[in-house]
Amino acid sequence: MKIRMRIKTPRRDGNGFGLRFAGLLVLLCGIETLSVFADDSPATGETIYQTKCAVCHGPKGEGKTAVYPHPLVGDRSIGELTEYISRSMPEDKPGTCVGDEAQRVATFIHEGFYSATAQARNQSARVELSRLTVRQYRHAVADLIAPFRRAGEVDERHGLLGEYFKSRNLGRNDRVYEQLDPVVDYDFRDQSPMTDHPDGAQVEPHEFAIRWRGSVIAPDTGEYEFLVRTDQATRLWVNDLQHPLIDAYVKSGTDTEHRGTLFLLGGRSYPLRLEFSKASQGVKDEKAKEKPPAKAVVSLEWKRPQQIGEVIPNRFLTPGRAAEVCVVKSPFPPDDRSLGWERATSISKDWDQATTEAAMEVAEYVTIHLDELAGTKADAADRPAKLKEFCDRLAERAFRRPLNPEQQQRYLERQFAGASDQENGVNRVVLLLLKSPRFLYRELGSTDMNSNDPYHVASRISFGLWDSIPDATLLNAAEQGELATRQQVAVQAERMMSDARFRSKLREFLLRWLKVDRIPDLGKDTALFPEFNEVLAQDLRHSLELFLDELIASDTSDFRQLLLSDQMYLNGRLSQFYGADLPRDAPFQKVSFEPSQRAGLLSHPYLMADFAYSSTSSPIHRGVFIARSLLGRMLRPPPEAVTPLAPQFEPDLTTRERVALQTRPESCQSCHALINPLGFPFEHFDATGRFRREELGHPILANGHYVTRQGETVGFDGVRQLASFLAESSETHSAFVGQLFHGMIKQPIRAYGAGTNEALRVEFVRENFSLRRLIREMIATSALTTLPPQTQTTTETK
Amino acid sequence: MTQPTRREFLRDLGLSAAALPFILNLPSLGFANQTARKQRLVIIFSPNGVVPKTFWPDEKGADFALKESLAPLEPFKNKLLTLHGVCDKIRGDGDSHMRGIGCLLTGVELFPGNIQGGSDTPAGWSTGLSIDQEIKNFLQSDPATRTRFGSLEFGVMVPDRADTWTRMSYAGPNKPITPIDDPYQMFSKLYGRLKGQENLKTILDDLQDDLRKLSASINPADRQLLEEQTTFVQEMEQELKSTAAVASVGHAVPDLEPGVKEAAENMPRLSKMQIELMVNSFAADFSRVATLQYTNSVGDAKMRFLGVDQGHHELSHNADDDEASQEKLTRINKWYAEQVAYLAKRLAETPEPGGSGSLLDNTLIVWTNELGKGNSHTLDNIPFVLVGNGLDFKMGRAMDFGKIPHNRLLISLAHGFGHRIERFGNPDYCSPGVLTDLT
Repeated sequence: MKIRMRIKTPRRDGNGFGLRFAGLLVLLCGIETLSVFADDSPATGETIYQTKCAVCHGPKGEGKTAVYPHPLVGDRSIGELTEYISRSMPEDKPGTCVGDEAQRVATFIHEGFYSATAQARNQSARVELSRLTVRQYRHAVADLIAPFRRAGEVDERHGLLGEYFKSRNLGRNDRVYEQLDPVVDYDFRDQSPMTDHPDGAQVEPHEFAIRWRGSVIAPDTGEYEFLVRTDQATRLWVNDLQHPLIDAYVKSGTDTEHRGTLFLLGGRSYPLRLEFSKASQGVKDEKAKEKPPAKAVVSLEWKRPQQIGEVIPNRFLTPGRAAEVCVVKSPFPPDDRSLGWERATSISKDWDQATTEAAMEVAEYVTIHLDELAGTKADAADRPAKLKEFCDRLAERAFRRPLNPEQQQRYLERQFAGASDQENGVNRVVLLLLKSPRFLYRELGSTDMNSNDPYHVASRISFGLWDSIPDATLLNAAEQGELATRQQVAVQAERMMSDARFRSKLREFLLRWLKVDRIPDLGKDTALFPEFNEVLAQDLRHSLELFLDELIASDTSDFRQLLLSDQMYLNGRLSQFYGADLPRDAPFQKVSFEPSQRAGLLSHPYLMADFAYSSTSSPIHRGVFIARSLLGRMLRPPPEAVTPLAPQFEPDLTTRERVALQTRPESCQSCHALINPLGFPFEHFDATGRFRREELGHPILANGHYVTRQGETVGFDGVRQLASFLAESSETHSAFVGQLFHGMIKQPIRAYGAGTNEALRVEFVRENFSLRRLIREMIATSALTTLPPQTQTTTETK
Repeated sequence: MTQPTRREFLRDLGLSAAALPFILNLPSLGFANQTARKQRLVIIFSPNGVVPKTFWPDEKGADFALKESLAPLEPFKNKLLTLHGVCDKIRGDGDSHMRGIGCLLTGVELFPGNIQGGSDTPAGWSTGLSIDQEIKNFLQSDPATRTRFGSLEFGVMVPDRADTWTRMSYAGPNKPITPIDDPYQMFSKLYGRLKGQENLKTILDDLQDDLRKLSASINPADRQLLEEQTTFVQEMEQELKSTAAVASVGHAVPDLEPGVKEAAENMPRLSKMQIELMVNSFAADFSRVATLQYTNSVGDAKMRFLGVDQGHHELSHNADDDEASQEKLTRINKWYAEQVAYLAKRLAETPEPGGSGSLLDNTLIVWTNELGKGNSHTLDNIPFVLVGNGLDFKMGRAMDFGKIPHNRLLISLAHGFGHRIERFGNPDYCSPGVLTDLT
């Protein structure tokens, strides 16, 4: 809901409106929260309701049998309710609750129990049967197939292994040396590779070849476009090492850019091989005596989903060869994210069709790779036995538990018996497994009777940490009865948190928490910011991701670093623009900044530029971010669509003055009294997130304040003071705990008991705000659960 | 999920991506045109030129005799044309074998590139699309002639490397099309989805049983979700039933002999399998254009099953007075003629679905080669033999055009489909246009 303006900020020679504004008394009104801390001060809508209305309508709007038996529910807006109350309530004394008072009581009623959203909120939360989210489905399929392959090599180093050959062929006999290359981005001119390797001189300039091997790490899920830029023969394989993604062995015409597109699942490594050969191919031209110098370049580039092209950075390359990943490409309808996390408690025909298509896709994949996955050969005598064994294991993994005899009959025996041949039997088994509710749903068959069944526990742990099915170790622990205590669950959680799947999930959550999970368009006014371009925007993204990746991987994984760190990753280009002291071509590195100017990620230029218009900052977007994401405040959408006041209409006002002016009406103030003073402390950052000391010749005013849920007013001047307050505030901690819980567990936190959020917050504080320890506690809490008692349930016989 | 466009839909089918529900929603696919005549084109390639004295008939006109190389085509003599005097005039980069195959169906020069031939300058891919693709695009642009695949590219023993010598069809400049020389791969392209659908039908009962069982046993508050899924599964079953006619494609899915490996000694079996698949895909109207490429330009298969121990290309370099080699080369070309004859026979005995006559009455087979003659590497007198009545050419003749560029023949193929282009490939070799003598 951002409105971008492409209007120049005019120069001004204004007056001191801002000073007058700073003295304004700010009213706080009409903001309710979901938090366990909800404890508003007197004279609120609630007080009015309890004194004037509850006598007939009941303390929670439930109605009173004798007087007004109907519950207070409906779909009128707050405005309509206000008007109605002013006109006709209370019934015996209409006209005694009007104006502001009527509005406050209407707001309380609306948000307390009247509106549809309030009703949904008030329903007692429970752990619901949920299907796999789209992300969980794709990861579950990948992990369903993975154990049937040889595990990939793990290599902590970055870059690709380059093998250098002294002829155009990549034959073993012509291999001269091997070395780790950080990235593939070479201009050999008319020379030999000229690396520092002692054997480099053996490679002649006119004919040589290089093969790079290793893996590429896909950070996000989506379409990746790979590009090999070369004037020579080249081939590129990604994930599937049998079929090249790019085959430009034939160089033809002047085309030097060779592209191939691949859908990849984020957080996983994919085997990669790149071949480059400088020479004429085909028949060896023996007659040519002269070997005139020829030029050669080669670079390996990509476009990550929704991003611009770049040489694949070193941190996404590793010399270890990963195993091929089975990636489901079938499209799925998106998950419901109306509550901020994927709630998978409903299905649709679209979704059902998608699971059918995906099942057929996976069945085809299995058919093609059957002998490899089942560890057999086309003419092996024990092939039938191996195929059955493969299906047995596959079924166990798909259902995350051993099959009982009846299920074995249904899912395995009967399919083989009914099929025309063995391969068809496998095909039927795969289709049936992947269409089965036992694969497609989480918490299936979990009741208060068997809630802590070890296989349920194993699934909760793995979906919670990885968004995927349990691995062999975890299933084994379930089988051994080693998932019965919090301690035992914590041991598994610790182990699993060192896996890339965990880091990927947490990273996705943090990006969403920062509201940048979708790549924002940071296009800025080119007249005002001529040097700010899409390359710089992508550099900023890298900078943010580097920070997050480092935090996630660190031992402390201290949440407060997100708010308080005084360091940032910069490269030469960013350094130039944001005024740090690095050479122009410097690679990314951590740079300390003046602590009073910036704080953690809050003032990271990527976020500052995102929470801004194309030419001016946006205190409102910044304030909304702090209120919602950090403090967990509920904000209603604006009562009417408002076009931001364009700077040109008030050329003398600073951004702060303009925002204050536009949001001055009482109807705006109910929310903006909260939003604006949380956004103003960021006024030192312009539309590109660059630090500034003045705007339109006026010194920046960066003071703001916040009225806590306890009613205490806290003031701050600038982002550092705001960040310090947030880092210490239990409101921030509590909101973060709730959001993280929903992001990881994907069930309402209240379903695990009213005190769960608070208990986890206390744990969070005690554990020095370690994200990992907090998540470990969440996993223990949600995996070993006591569900509210249910009626009419029977446990399935096993 | 967004609704796919028709183009995406066709692409999905062709690339075997998710297609089931879309097929279900569009039962008429592949049977778009049941009334108008379905014209088809097959282009068959064999390599290394021919032995002119055992290949070309001595006579001209309707009264001619087929010589040894073409003897297998005797049953189709009145449905056949031999076209002497059609020459590949395209020059530029690349050796004769490269231009021979790369310009054969494109009629235009190769790009400069990095593939060095035995002589001449190195070259890359063709600078234009090939006539089979031109005709495919023409047919696919009209809903009345559009088919599921548009064109199918078959191969037999095509080496597993992509270079100028191994590619004949081009979707456009620098866009060579890889022929599928593995019959099992072609089978799964044609029928893989259908097989999956057949299997899908067979599992639904077991799926519904388990859904029922689970619904009965779980928490009532959660039951609704499973009940909804049960409904969806029932609906899918209904849809699968109602489109059973489409799924069964109107003919028996061909049974392929299992486990035939790609090896020179299996060429006869592979060839037969590919021809069966081609005939079946015509009967199902999956496609109206097909190519069938035996080996590759410079193909060096050792056809021991013919009693020939040397590689074909090696043999083709031997001199005219080496009678033993000439005889073996004749034997090889006669074997290729047998393949053409087998395809013609299978087309002739398959009735045109929904029409009159046989598939051969509506199909033109064009058999050709990258060279006129192996040991001279000439691109003159490219052996063009046409079989079948698909394009309404006046068949049953031995023709001699003197020395005309082959672009005019390519133009004539398009005209046969009512696609009246005036030039194709290099315009310098296109006038005066279509070969009027053919019709």
